[in-house]
Amino acid sequence: MAGVTAFLLTLIGAALAVGLELLEAMAIVLAVGSTRRPRDAVIGAAGAVALLALAVVVVGPLVLARLPLAPLQVVIGTALLLFGLEWLRKGVLRLAGARAPSSSLQEYLEEREAMEALPPPEPGKPDWPARIVAGKGVLLEGLEVVLIVAALGAGPQGLAPAVLGAAVAVVFVVGLGFVLHRPLARLPESHLKYAVGVVLSSFGVFFLGEGLGVEWPGHDAALLYLAVAFVAVSQAQIHAVAVRHREVPA
Amino acid sequence: MKALRKLVLGETWTLPLGVFATLALALVLDAVAGDTPWWRHAGGFLLLACVLIALAVSLAPAWRRR
Repeated sequence: MAGVTAFLLTLIGAALAVGLELLEAMAIVLAVGSTRRPRDAVIGAAGAVALLALAVVVVGPLVLARLPLAPLQVVIGTALLLFGLEWLRKGVLRLAGARAPSSSLQEYLEEREAMEALPPPEPGKPDWPARIVAGKGVLLEGLEVVLIVAALGAGPQGLAPAVLGAAVAVVFVVGLGFVLHRPLARLPESHLKYAVGVVLSSFGVFFLGEGLGVEWPGHDAALLYLAVAFVAVSQAQIHAVAVRHREVPA
Repeated sequence: MKALRKLVLGETWTLPLGVFATLALALVLDAVAGDTPWWRHAGGFLLLACVLIALAVSLAPAWRRR
């Protein structure tokens, strides 16, 4: 039972985190491709994917595989907490109405506006602004994907659920790319990102404790009550921040 | 570099500082009381409490602002 819980939480966490990051990367590439030459957007994105492949090799076999288990769990737990708590903090603010909701569609429109303000590319010459903007977007979002999947893959169930979750997310996001953009506008991105924050933070505390020799009651099932604790505390914070913002409007 | 810092550490300093303070406290307690039953059985909940406090502190500006 505990093993199934850890497997499912890893799969869901990886799928949501990867899906949301890919969605943001795709919004940037589509915005660049639709305002400049699509070829340059693809070249920029492909360059970033090549750099990410290099990062996978460095993070996986060269770093993670060489560290002993306990220090590795401490490093991964800390990394997951840095990512997870930031997603959770933004999630609390968004759901409390103290921050604009997360929207890849909005990001797409803003990126389009920024690209339209640039002078048009010269015919026959490489469009470096388009390549750099598309490449930077894919690189930054992709780097987070690599780190999150690698960290979740170091969990009790191994890489399988993290990679499976990532694969599901890739299929979903690529599929969504074909039927953009109305489904994009309907995605509850703020809620999904809040859920990712809860999952990553739960894994972060779990790994940090395991790496320091702590025995969690219920073993892998501890992930469940850790997630419940994060949900309970963050929901109270959402309520408190929302009340404060209603009391003192902008 | 700014984008990379934002990617790894996030938008605030309080949250990464809180995580690293939790890590430092945990490493000290592990060194001092790593073999004791209380650390093995209650250490995880102490870590959870520290992390939740770090989250609350990072949200404090949202309570004060406006």
